[in-house]
Amino acid sequence: MFKSVFRPCAAVAKNARMTLPVRNSILMPQMMVSPIRFYSATTDRNEITQRVVDVIKAFDRTNASADISSKTLFHKDLGLDSLDTVELLVAIEEDFDIQFPDKVADELKGVEDTVEWIANHPESE
Amino acid sequence: MMNSVLKRSVVNGLNLQRGLATATAVAPRLKNFKVYRWSPDEPSKKPYLQTFQVDLNECGPMVLDALLKIKNEQDATLTLRRSCREGICGSCAMNIGGRNTLACLCKIDQNESKDLKVYPLPHMYIVKDLVPDLTNFYQQYKSIQPYLQRKSYPEDGKEILQSVEDRKKLDGLYECILCACCSTSCPSYWWNQEQYLGPAVLLQAYRWLIDSRDQAAQTRKAMLQNTMSLYRCHTIMNCTRTCPKGLNPGLAIAEIKKELATD
Amino acid sequence: MAKRLSGLQKEVLHLYRASVRVAHTKPKQNQPHFINYIREEFGKHKDLPKRDFTTIEHLLRVGNKRINLYSSPELKDIN
Repeated sequence: MFKSVFRPCAAVAKNARMTLPVRNSILMPQMMVSPIRFYSATTDRNEITQRVVDVIKAFDRTNASADISSKTLFHKDLGLDSLDTVELLVAIEEDFDIQFPDKVADELKGVEDTVEWIANHPESE
Repeated sequence: MMNSVLKRSVVNGLNLQRGLATATAVAPRLKNFKVYRWSPDEPSKKPYLQTFQVDLNECGPMVLDALLKIKNEQDATLTLRRSCREGICGSCAMNIGGRNTLACLCKIDQNESKDLKVYPLPHMYIVKDLVPDLTNFYQQYKSIQPYLQRKSYPEDGKEILQSVEDRKKLDGLYECILCACCSTSCPSYWWNQEQYLGPAVLLQAYRWLIDSRDQAAQTRKAMLQNTMSLYRCHTIMNCTRTCPKGLNPGLAIAEIKKELATD
Repeated sequence: MAKRLSGLQKEVLHLYRASVRVAHTKPKQNQPHFINYIREEFGKHKDLPKRDFTTIEHLLRVGNKRINLYSSPELKDIN
């Protein structure tokens, strides 16, 4: 739990946009729901996308690592078969310290889906 | 055998007729054994019955003898569990001629014109050939805590005494060797293996429930007080019919039901 | 349009996912051994027809058992 909160915060700090979670909540009052929801506010979709793309690039089974955007599909664009996709998703889970439920993971077909789910489920472990 | 008979008849100058008569007496009595085969090494190959011919003159009286003879002389890959060869270990439980029993206690029908079919215990996952996967069965046995549970022990540190009458209550229960013949003959167990404990394990549950030395009867009963563990028994009585040790699991289950009803 | 997977195919994927997750709990330097092993074991049956239900179900059981065995934290490497 601590790890998952800490990591995105550190990422934000690196971007020098803001250092303290408290300041962030003042700047974005519309996102101020609960301390846990709040973590999603600090990690915006672009950043998640960037991290997902980094994981994909580091993944040894992809054939088209050069050009990955949010529209990239695992099977169609990266040439991953269903088992490779599973491996990639677990690698993403590792990086974000989350776990996709089986039912969700079955439906994730590309970068966009994945980012969307992560953005909406900050508290999932 | 034949050789020595012939030799002797030649040496002694006895008539050949007699030697031949002896020879026809030992003509092989070949019986077909149809044995279930399936190997995990080729999982997509379907199970099949393989026919082996065994000469009953050269074979011991029990089905286990025939199976071991096949394994020794015809096909060493035939896989089965066996250990004591005298009905005390429960390893060689299998379905022989349509009935669950121990191969070591089951006599071969000496009518060699009839084929004998040998299958593993029914409705069990198979490890290989005649070897069923008993993991779930053992897990269920473990779940009933098959050991003496007491809060207090005799002060003198000696054994916990039991009256002759109390000891008698264990007769017909303690002899169970957990061969799983009864459980795997029970249709209720076939359909609800995950939740219904099955006759063998329930017989053991009863054995600990009525042991005068055990003090955990209340918790034991509480564990069985649900719709699945015990009450899936619908007194079909296949268990009692098939038990190779002549025990009566059906009766033991009925006794548990009585105990629970008067609780 | 992505093809829809059957229930059994999903179960295979779930087993694969569980396996890969177990691999990730092992020491970093040994993780590739586990991943290779998983790929090998699944690869062995890649050509199995998807209608061969009994075989697939059998292999799923074998796989799940093996996961139980291999998820023990004492087990650190595989060859």
